[in-house]
Amino acid sequence: MKLSPLLALIALLTLAFSLSVTIAPDASGWSSGKKAGNFLGLMFGDGRKLMASQFFTMADVYFHSGYYPSVFDKNSSEQKEIISASHGRKESEEDEKNEDFLGKPKDWIDAFGRNFKITRHTHLESGNEREILPWLRLAADLDPQKIETYTVGAFFLKDHLHRPDQAEAFLREGLRNNPDNAEILFELGRMYHETTHETDRARNVWELGIKKFLELSPDDQKENRLVFEETAVNLARLEDDAGNYDRAIYWFRQGQTVSLDPGSLDVQIDKIQKKISAKQP
Amino acid sequence: MNVILKTEKLRVEYRSREFRQTSKVALQGLDLEVGAGEVFGFLGPNGAGKTTTMNVLLGFVPPTSGTASLFGIDVRQPIARQRIGYLPELTYYYKFLTADELLHFYAKIFGIARAEADKRIAELLKLVELEHAAKRPIKSYSKGMQQRVGLAQALINNPDLLVLDEPTSGLDPLGRMKVREIIQRLKDEGKTVFFSSHELGEVETICDRVAIVHQGELKAVGTVAEISAGHENLEKAFLKIVGFQNSPLP
Amino acid sequence: MNKIFAVAGVVIKELYRRKDFYVLFVLTALLTVGAGAVNFFNDEKIIRYVKDICLLLIWVSSLVIAIVTAARQIPAEREARTIFPLLAKPVSRGQIITGKFLGCWLATGIGLLVFYFFFAVIASSREHTWPLMTYVQAAWMQWCLLAVVIAMVLLGSIYFAAPSSTSTISFVVVGGIMLLGGHLKVLALQQAEPVQSLLIFIYYFMPHLEWYYLSDFVVYNMGAVPWLKIAAATLYAATWTGIFLLVAWFGFRRKNLTT
Repeated sequence: MKLSPLLALIALLTLAFSLSVTIAPDASGWSSGKKAGNFLGLMFGDGRKLMASQFFTMADVYFHSGYYPSVFDKNSSEQKEIISASHGRKESEEDEKNEDFLGKPKDWIDAFGRNFKITRHTHLESGNEREILPWLRLAADLDPQKIETYTVGAFFLKDHLHRPDQAEAFLREGLRNNPDNAEILFELGRMYHETTHETDRARNVWELGIKKFLELSPDDQKENRLVFEETAVNLARLEDDAGNYDRAIYWFRQGQTVSLDPGSLDVQIDKIQKKISAKQP
Repeated sequence: MNVILKTEKLRVEYRSREFRQTSKVALQGLDLEVGAGEVFGFLGPNGAGKTTTMNVLLGFVPPTSGTASLFGIDVRQPIARQRIGYLPELTYYYKFLTADELLHFYAKIFGIARAEADKRIAELLKLVELEHAAKRPIKSYSKGMQQRVGLAQALINNPDLLVLDEPTSGLDPLGRMKVREIIQRLKDEGKTVFFSSHELGEVETICDRVAIVHQGELKAVGTVAEISAGHENLEKAFLKIVGFQNSPLP
Repeated sequence: MNKIFAVAGVVIKELYRRKDFYVLFVLTALLTVGAGAVNFFNDEKIIRYVKDICLLLIWVSSLVIAIVTAARQIPAEREARTIFPLLAKPVSRGQIITGKFLGCWLATGIGLLVFYFFFAVIASSREHTWPLMTYVQAAWMQWCLLAVVIAMVLLGSIYFAAPSSTSTISFVVVGGIMLLGGHLKVLALQQAEPVQSLLIFIYYFMPHLEWYYLSDFVVYNMGAVPWLKIAAATLYAATWTGIFLLVAWFGFRRKNLTT
């Protein structure tokens, strides 16, 4: 019996559809581990983390308007993600500006070639920081577990581009992809405290961050020591500003448990105790 | 005789790229002269050295030793080819150009002024009956049309010497007649025609002189009558000269 | 000169009657417009990444066109045997090589003009500025690089029979120089002899094509490079172009084309 090609095609399509309907509910459980459920993640597969890292570096390159060391340049082994180190820290900005990864020209070829390279160290400002956003967006899409993408992105959105609503949305996206992450919670709290001045929300978020930090394993706690210290210290300052001196001292002492310089926190505690003494009749 | 094509002890040796293979001698000391106004047939079996001789004359292949000249100018100088036209056996033209563009291109190479080139090209397209197809790309042409384009480009500079490589090969009887007519017309105009062919009947009809080469050597040169003397026809003479004796058919 | 321009004219006609250029232009345009259409944080003023992507595509497209076109000039003529009716005319092999180079270079130059015009329209649609000098310099330097590349590929095509081999080797060489050229000396100093000496020799005696990539100045709005430096780079490119064409002529002038 001869089967018409059209009938054969219809039969195959019906079979394919039936199979997909049958298998689909089980198929979603086949892949192990988290992965980006978007087009880019699908396209790049496991290489997406490398791509995400590269895109994050591109954001840094854009922030410095192309003045950026390559793997061959001086101090390339010390190359850090400057964009993340620079936010909010004046000292590191000064250090950064003093770095000259190019060094002296090695010969006339190098010297002449520098006429066609970016050799001026600049930072984007006056709203031009927006240019780094596409790379941060792509980095977040490709590797939703890279925390720095969200914290750096939120920093520039709220502090440089004055868009706290978008910063909050970006951080909350990071939180959805990394539930209860202490670093994101810290940045979220900082935004509420410094930018939108929502003290209660900041307190709640920071206390949640502390709680989640304490639930971590000792090794993870050791790794995130700095986040805990910053959260505790910022909580202490919040309570200090609110007049809750006992709570302020409590949080400073919590910070001392992990601080590398507990002496500096002693100074803060002393100041608060003086305030308490001054208030007492 | 005003000699316009001359070779003297022309030798061409191809070095083999194969390991331990000796080189191949395509031409061994060829001495040839063609006078102005002659229709000269260049004959020989396959592999005799006809194509190699033409390649040297046209500058495709440098000679190993000896000399070759056109109009007294060494063939290695591009200017030696200013007054010649060349029609290859197979059609080798830019398929993406139209016939009109191709002829204008070659006219520029010859340094023909635009106005004169336009006039000449119009005449040639009429001669080869391609006026209707002049603006179409050559890749859309039939084989016969491509060969007619070839003839037109060979005549673009009104050459004093026309070099034809098997001009009637692959042509139908009408086409062959057309080529014969053009050769005769050129001869009447005092032009020189130098061509290779396997069609000995045609050679007998139109050539003033012929040369026969075999295994890279010149075996005979003279008028058709001189070479055919003592034989029935040119073909029999040719077969005798190249050493082909009567042999039973398989 | 007329003969050289005549040969160049045929090369240009061939390039624009093939589909390569149009396909690459449409691809560049689509990818650029696509990149520009993506919404990042509802900010319509973001433009640098679009400029970066567009310029990268222009670079890739122009290199593809230049290398593929130049690589097939002589081999394709030999294979199609169109070189014979041409050589039977009063034109020297040097004029043919020069004409082929000029045709490829002018054709890619016209292509670059179209690409950069498109780029300028895209960039100005968001930036509302026209840093014309920077654009002109970037396009000019890219065109100078293409001159060196085309001459180098023509040289390669004399010695490598297949256009595909010439193209592949050329892409690798050009890509290698662009990425590593400026850093070769640093790499060399990390190696033991004799590799170190070899790399240093290559560093000093290779064309430094990485100088000609001025896209960063365009993307980051860094202003124009001093014209004297551009002139020096142009002279450098002209020198290397001349060297490659001369060597190509040496190889081509007595080559037996019938084998």
